[in-house]
Amino acid sequence: MTTSQRRDHAIFDADLPGKAMSFADLGRILTWAKPHRGLATVSLALVLIASFLAILLPVIIARVVIDGILIEHPNSTLPDLGLIALTQSLSEISERSPLIIACLLYGVLTIVCHSAYHLHRVTLAKTVMYALRDLRQDLFHHIEYRPSTFFDKVAVGRIMTRVTNDVQALFEMLMGVGMLVGEFVPFFIALGLMLAIDVELTLYLLTALPVFAGLTYIFRMATRKIYREIRNSVSQLNQNLQENLSGIQVVQLSNRESLNFALYKNVNQENQRQEIKAVKLETSYGAFMDNMVNMALAAILWVGGGEVVQQTISLGSLILFTQFVDMFIRPIRVLGQQYNTIFRAMASAERIFQALDWDEQLKEPQAPAVLPQRLSGEITFRNLTFGYEPGLPVLEDINLTIRAGEKIAIVGPTGSGKSTIIRLLARAYDFSDDSIFIDGIDLNTIPSTDVRRRVGVVMQDFHIFEGTVLENIRLGNPEISRSAAIEAARWVNAETFILSLPQGFDTPLNERGQNLSQGQRQLLAFARVLARNPEILILDEATASIDTETEQEIQSALATLTQDRTSILIAHRLQTIQEADRIVVLKHGKIREVGTHGELMALGGIYFTLTQLQFQDLRSIQ
Amino acid sequence: MNVLITLRRLAPLVQTHALAFWGGMLGLLAARLFEAYIPYLLKEGIDYLAATQADSKVAIDFSAKLGPIALGIAGCVTAQIIVTIISRILIRRVGVYAAFELRNQLFNHLQHQGPIFYSGYPIGDLMARAINDITRVRELIAGTSRTTMVLVFTAVVGLVFMLNLSWQLTLAVLIPAPLITFFAHYYAKRIFLKSQKTQEGFAELSTFVQQNLNGIRTVQAMSQEPYELNRFREANQRFADDNIALFSDSSAIGAIMPVIAAVSTLIIIGYGSHLYATDQITLGTFTAFFSYLALLLWPIREAGSIVTQWQRGISGTARVFEILDHPPEISDTTESDHPELTGRIQVRDLSYRYQNKNKDALSAVSFNVDAGETLAIIGRVGSGKSTLLRLFVRLLDPSEGEILLDGRPIQSFPLAYLRQNVCLVLQDPFLFADSLGDNIAYDDPARTTEDIMRSAEIAALTGTIESFPEGIATILGERGVTLSGGQKQRAALARGIIRMSPLLVLDDCFSAVDTETEEHILSGLKNLRQGLTTLIVSNRVSTARHADQIIVLDEGSIIETGSHDTLLAANGFYSDLERKQRFDKVSAL
Ligand SMILES: Nc1ncnc2c1ncn2[C@@H]1O[C@H](COP(=O)(O)OP(=O)(O)O)[C@@H](O)[C@H]1O
Ligand SMILES: Nc1ncnc2c1ncn2[C@@H]1O[C@H](COP(=O)(O)OP(=O)(O)O)[C@@H](O)[C@H]1O
Ligand SMILES: [Mg+2]
Ligand SMILES: [Mg+2]
Repeated sequence: MTTSQRRDHAIFDADLPGKAMSFADLGRILTWAKPHRGLATVSLALVLIASFLAILLPVIIARVVIDGILIEHPNSTLPDLGLIALTQSLSEISERSPLIIACLLYGVLTIVCHSAYHLHRVTLAKTVMYALRDLRQDLFHHIEYRPSTFFDKVAVGRIMTRVTNDVQALFEMLMGVGMLVGEFVPFFIALGLMLAIDVELTLYLLTALPVFAGLTYIFRMATRKIYREIRNSVSQLNQNLQENLSGIQVVQLSNRESLNFALYKNVNQENQRQEIKAVKLETSYGAFMDNMVNMALAAILWVGGGEVVQQTISLGSLILFTQFVDMFIRPIRVLGQQYNTIFRAMASAERIFQALDWDEQLKEPQAPAVLPQRLSGEITFRNLTFGYEPGLPVLEDINLTIRAGEKIAIVGPTGSGKSTIIRLLARAYDFSDDSIFIDGIDLNTIPSTDVRRRVGVVMQDFHIFEGTVLENIRLGNPEISRSAAIEAARWVNAETFILSLPQGFDTPLNERGQNLSQGQRQLLAFARVLARNPEILILDEATASIDTETEQEIQSALATLTQDRTSILIAHRLQTIQEADRIVVLKHGKIREVGTHGELMALGGIYFTLTQLQFQDLRSIQ
Repeated sequence: MNVLITLRRLAPLVQTHALAFWGGMLGLLAARLFEAYIPYLLKEGIDYLAATQADSKVAIDFSAKLGPIALGIAGCVTAQIIVTIISRILIRRVGVYAAFELRNQLFNHLQHQGPIFYSGYPIGDLMARAINDITRVRELIAGTSRTTMVLVFTAVVGLVFMLNLSWQLTLAVLIPAPLITFFAHYYAKRIFLKSQKTQEGFAELSTFVQQNLNGIRTVQAMSQEPYELNRFREANQRFADDNIALFSDSSAIGAIMPVIAAVSTLIIIGYGSHLYATDQITLGTFTAFFSYLALLLWPIREAGSIVTQWQRGISGTARVFEILDHPPEISDTTESDHPELTGRIQVRDLSYRYQNKNKDALSAVSFNVDAGETLAIIGRVGSGKSTLLRLFVRLLDPSEGEILLDGRPIQSFPLAYLRQNVCLVLQDPFLFADSLGDNIAYDDPARTTEDIMRSAEIAALTGTIESFPEGIATILGERGVTLSGGQKQRAALARGIIRMSPLLVLDDCFSAVDTETEEHILSGLKNLRQGLTTLIVSNRVSTARHADQIIVLDEGSIIETGSHDTLLAANGFYSDLERKQRFDKVSAL
């Protein structure tokens, strides 16, 4: 039975519940930042400097200028962080008025402070961007090596958004979290100063914190479900559109436009409903958080004003309070604004890690077998049984030896498992050990990339990439020169049609080769494999969309190419397989007949019937 | 596209909700007034407190003086919050409605575009427009335009209050404004270009990943992974660098602005102290100016990013309307005369040339098919067979010549009616990631299971369906990946057969099907479609010989016409083909 792992791929496509804040995930993201920790440290140091300077600026205005210069206040012993003394001594040394010195001080500190902030942000962005670049590369690398069983089940769109949008969401979050540091440092310094000036007033203001925190919590709870619904409807909208665009011709030819539009509109309607709900909540919460700060001004004026009147604090201190209010409330406000980003990013992180942890993979040998320089190409199937789903064998008990250099044809009805044999030979799926051998070596002991490099398959389901004709033949392989690619195109008789294209081999093709005829696409897929000069050549209905004329022209080139090279070809047109040394008849996943054309004809079995069917009418006419 | 054109295009979307939109804007103005009144009240309070410092007797009516001020501030804050919430909801809702409307329009429009359009716009690009660009339009309507108004209101209201307090200090404070505007403008341009670059980079990355995954089986079978990873690395690195460059610029402007604003602060400190010392302003006014400066600073600072947001919104709008303005390639008619069609075909001098090609794919093709006849089309790769068939269902419209159906040009039928009567089964069998049954009954989900099974039977799919544990309810992978090539082809065929249209057009639908099964299908079809017209493209003589008439295409022209027998006798391309496909070469061995 098959050894491929059984998994519930629905989990991969499902929308993850999304934990609000997972420190484990956050910590894991940070492992990608580790190589850049030097940069991160610099960034942190800079933000500490900048935050400290940012606190000094309002102190200069309130304490130095207002308390110290404008209203001479005899007992202003309250904290000024030494700024008053500094101004005074500077003014004595330079013999300038304290006001000018205060202005200068303010100017210089502003410049230093904002330069530090700027450098902090840039270093932070670099740290985060580099970390995510590496994460994205690792993720793509991981996905690129998942086996076919994975890609058979999950939607391409879903995997794609993980590499793109989800990683991008992390960027926004990490920048946000990084910059929160820049908000919290001044918060604590401001808090300390305020407590030093006036404990009572500060405590009054502090009561706002639980209120804000509570509100944020309620908001979070209320929006959680709505955001999930929005995400669902958006991904449904996108999937709907994507499918419709991919199959647009089928849609149009089936007159499905209005029905599909109605379906789309329904999802869109649902999306709109949820969006409106979200707008209401977000707006209420946002406007409240943004403007509630000013309520503190009323409290400061009332409570602080009373103390000013009783001379327990200076007027400058009260003004300082009004200036600090913003710094005091900001972290919570920013946290509230960031909440959304963080929430979304945590869901993204979860999806990314799910993909990274998706360890479905092909069995690769522990101790890889050493292959000879050039394979002789003997292939043996021994008791091979295989199925994509458990309990549903597609191939049963296949036993066959293909001699080195032999040309084998496989024929059989569709769905009999012909392509499946080929996929196994190309190591696209896992199968039990000791069932397929090349040159007597168990295929499972050869690394899959080695197998694929030596076994060239012209697949039934090939893919044409967006790019030029030449790029589609070379597929990025630097070892294939332009002339080699052109030569391969010539072998399959594609050169004429390619040269008739506007820019010859450099003509750009659309994705899936939409601007070529189906047969022309197939010729390209054929040329692509020949250009690689594989040691074993397999053609899976490689000429199905190609006319007989062209096929025969290819045939002669192929005869030379397959000289002394093991080759397997699958075809339906019987004249295509006439060149084969032996013919294998497959039906319902079992080998039913093997032999030369003559032997099989003499046998009078399936093959004989097939031949008769194809040509009885022709005979009767003649 | 400039601002005016954009606004004109978007106006109808807003117009349907004009009352909410403009009412909301008015509300925002009111909110600004409440906001700007707060520093004014604060000033009153501080002035009073300053007076108590000078003369402690003033402190006696503390509650009577300061109470109303504190309450006034609380009142303003409350009013501001309530009004802001209501107006923002009003405006943002218009944005949601607009996005809804645009999405519908775009979807509907895309459904009526033909292959020429789709060869110019890759799916990834269209998806980006439908997702990102519509979001930008929504932001423009409900976000950017709102912020712009708020900025203007804040600046105007703030200035009025400041001028009222001290016009000298107000003018002095505004001295650095041109500097701010200059930097804002300078950076806005740079940032716009860079953000465009990162957006393109993102699109490039997405397209790359998507196309790579679409072809992942080919990539893996060819061991191309390392090359693909390298290509990805380059795009990924570029994207990271572009992002950092963009971020540096926006951080720089974020640092420059407060530094310039500090000049204004210094002016308040210096000149304000002087005005205070000479008793031209009070201490309250002095502090209020800091608050007003903070209020004003925001619009000035945001001016740059607002410009960027507008540019982004405008380019998004342009990209959406570029699609919406694309006229459908195929014009439809509202002709309501729907005769029963018999499927008689006359093709006259039909030519077609693809864009950017210097050769006709089809040139001056003429032939007739009587109702109920079967026509086979044979020809080499790229000889124009599929092109000819596409013309029958008006996926393409001919460059020259015409096709008559029952004596009437096909252009004179409504498109839906034509496609209902002419059913083309495409060469490339596309299946949806849906159940097999839904795929077969795609044209009409209301079809019964018996209907589905009957056409599956004709398409020789019954055995396959029975081998699936879930039968026709089996869910297929994307594009039908979990089926074998022949199964896909036959499922697509069943989807065509089920419609029983007067004219059935099959584009090489048996290439992955073995001859035995094909024989079975063809004889089933023959029975089922007695009296109905069928066109079949094939590479097999064994298929063509069933037809009443055969045409051979070569390089877009008909080189032979006739029945199987006459063509064999003619000793041309067809008889040559027949000889090649015959088996006696092997039998002779
Ligand atoms: N990726 C897959 N997952 C599940 N079943 C598959 C997959 N590919 C093929 N099958 C099933 O396996 C059987 C054999 O398919 P295949 O080998 O492609 O047939 P063919 O002989 O036409 O090439 C078919 O019934 C098909 O539905
Ligand atoms: N969308 C397209 N854009 C440009 N050229 C095309 C397009 N589709 C087909 N062609 C070209 O038109 C010619 C005829 O193609 P087609 O009708 O598909 O041939 P076939 O006879 O193989 O079905 C070919 O040379 C092909 O390259
Ligand atoms: Mg196959
Ligand atoms: Mg074709």
